[in-house]
Amino acid sequence: MNVALTEIHRSFGKNKAVDDVSLELGTGVFGLLGPNGAGKTSLLRMLATVLPPTSGKIRLLDRDPRRPAARREIRQRLGYLPQNLGYYPSFTVVEFVEYFALLKQMPSSAVPKAVAQAVERLDLGAKAKARLRTLSGGMLRRVGIAQAIVNDPDLLLLDEPTAGLDPEQRVQLRALMRSLGESATVIVSTHLVEDVGAACSEVALMSAGKIVFRGTSADLTARGEGHGVGDAPLERGYSAVLAEARS
Amino acid sequence: MSVMSVPLQASARALRLEFKRNAVPYLLPLLAAVFYFDALRTADGFPPVWTLRASVIGNHMLYAYSAFAGGLAAWAGSREGRRKTVDLVAAAPRAAWARLSVALAGTLCWLLLAFVAGVAVLYIHTALQATWGGPPLWPAFVGAVGVIVVTVIGFTAGVFFPGRFTAPLVAIGVLVLSDIGFREALSVTASSGTYALLSPATSLPVIDAGVYYHVAPDLSITQVMFMGGIAVALYGVLGLAPRLRELAWAGGRPSLRAALARGTDRLPNAVAVLLVACGVAASWTAFALAGTAKPDAVGGWQIPALHSAATDRPVPVTMHCRSGSGFQVCVHPAFSFYLHDVAAALDPLAAEIAGLPGAPRRAEEVASVSGGNEVQSGISGNPPVFEFSADYVGPMFGAFFGIPNAAAWRAGFREGLLNAFIEGPSQHPGPVPLDPAQQAVEDVLLTAVGSQPLGASSGQTAVNGKLTAATLANINAAARRFAALPASARHAWLAAHLAALRAGTVTLAQIP
Repeated sequence: MNVALTEIHRSFGKNKAVDDVSLELGTGVFGLLGPNGAGKTSLLRMLATVLPPTSGKIRLLDRDPRRPAARREIRQRLGYLPQNLGYYPSFTVVEFVEYFALLKQMPSSAVPKAVAQAVERLDLGAKAKARLRTLSGGMLRRVGIAQAIVNDPDLLLLDEPTAGLDPEQRVQLRALMRSLGESATVIVSTHLVEDVGAACSEVALMSAGKIVFRGTSADLTARGEGHGVGDAPLERGYSAVLAEARS
Repeated sequence: MSVMSVPLQASARALRLEFKRNAVPYLLPLLAAVFYFDALRTADGFPPVWTLRASVIGNHMLYAYSAFAGGLAAWAGSREGRRKTVDLVAAAPRAAWARLSVALAGTLCWLLLAFVAGVAVLYIHTALQATWGGPPLWPAFVGAVGVIVVTVIGFTAGVFFPGRFTAPLVAIGVLVLSDIGFREALSVTASSGTYALLSPATSLPVIDAGVYYHVAPDLSITQVMFMGGIAVALYGVLGLAPRLRELAWAGGRPSLRAALARGTDRLPNAVAVLLVACGVAASWTAFALAGTAKPDAVGGWQIPALHSAATDRPVPVTMHCRSGSGFQVCVHPAFSFYLHDVAAALDPLAAEIAGLPGAPRRAEEVASVSGGNEVQSGISGNPPVFEFSADYVGPMFGAFFGIPNAAAWRAGFREGLLNAFIEGPSQHPGPVPLDPAQQAVEDVLLTAVGSQPLGASSGQTAVNGKLTAATLANINAAARRFAALPASARHAWLAAHLAALRAGTVTLAQIP
């Protein structure tokens, strides 16, 4: 298992962001759905080893991230796209991706090729030498994904990866996620249920810090049968599960 | 892989990126303008004496560079916080210390390059004008360490307090601190605390500092130790930054326990703590050493624990001399640029008084400070020699500063010689007021060699102070009478009455 969470809790003051979450994930694309404030981003930050859990046990890539050496090894094999992507406006696309390749301690000789591949996979070749300050929001999102995949990660965490992308780019990104999911664990946090339906082999739905549903997108769709809220079958399933959890 | 074993090649690539995309180059034109209008133009106003010109590094260059360095470093240090990349970089395996070190190095490289370029311009400019000596390295070294410490301070402030206002606040703070340090350094005396000497800004050195005697490096060593210690300690704090921030954010007890339980690399933490300890120890030692500083015999400062007696020995040198009309004038080769002017000023006067008892046969420049005291000009020795320093000639102080024109400068030199010649040996240091008869004679002799008298006849009685308007009128009347005599008659009268004139027993009425 690439991800094994056991009774994870995370609080910010009195607010329980993540409440008793247990999860085991292997390779594949895993969708994380939920309303705002459900705890998706906090869970992803814990998986990215930037936020320690208040309690519970995390194992990532068969390692315990509490140990410094193991944490470094995990991070070398990790790709992370935060919800709010910070960037350095004066860097070009290639420089930004190269910078993170170096931070990920990739062999120096392998960096140029890996950067070029990541940039090409996100269809950023034409903008490779453009300063980040000149790019649109969608372009920046793709740059963020490029830095996340530059080290060919075994665990890829994408927080709202399709936000700001046009439909064509979203289709391309779903294809990319499916491709990456063949050999890695890809966890995608999103509000867009169609992304989940198109790209994810498995899906979890979070509400108030808890996982209230786990299954395939077909399972989620089935939960919405006979439920009136939502335009698409998957949305009706989403609404039905949430309504049930809240009641 | 720990911070210690990060491959150098990767660090070099990261450094190249940081260097290429640094904010410093955007402000270099402004820095260059400040350098030109402040440091370089100030230096240009000084005579081309290396130590004097180099004092601009601590007193002017470092002001501007510190403000820029502090602000720009704070801007670089606050980048991750400002640009909200904290999570992104934290998820990468490279240690935060290593990452921050590269960012710091990128900024530091630019600032040091700018500083070295400024010093190079200053020194090349001086080299084209100086007639003796070479560029002093200690002021440049102290300045470079000053830039480094301010950069590290600014960067650390940026890391801990990331925000868009951190950079300007740091720049202003550095300016204020520099100013306080400068003012403290100016007011430092042997009896007051000497800790202000740790500031790289100092009072203006004597004009011939480093010319007759070496400049002892004691103070520079202490300053480097003090500032270097701060820089090393803060660099260690940077190494502890993620841990400190984690604990600060931890808040309540359960989260604090969680933060503590996370565990971090022990080796980098140990190295960081060691650096903090070493830096604090170095700064503290420098602070203690500065407290023992005392003025040395040649106008500088010495610190007993660091002082080398070798620096107290005079610098061996062959004086540059000129004997235009038999009267020899010698100056230190560092001041040979004004040998011709001094000779031109003194030659006619020497000829005018030649043969009179006590008339100097030659003039020689001497060190302006000796035995801890300022050296005044005067006539001594047998045969008599008129000794003057580059700083003090008769009533002139700071002969190279503020003298409006060449004629006034020449008159000052001549008056210096005549004062010493007419007054005779003085019991007091510094210019001694002439009595009315002496003043009248001096005025006549000055006029005879084509100089406008600077004393009573020109109304500039501030030096004398005690003369009344009536006395001035009497002096002028006596001077007119004496000037009307043929030169040979004046000479004969002076030969007969010079001893009495020096003794102050000649009245205005007795002047023919």
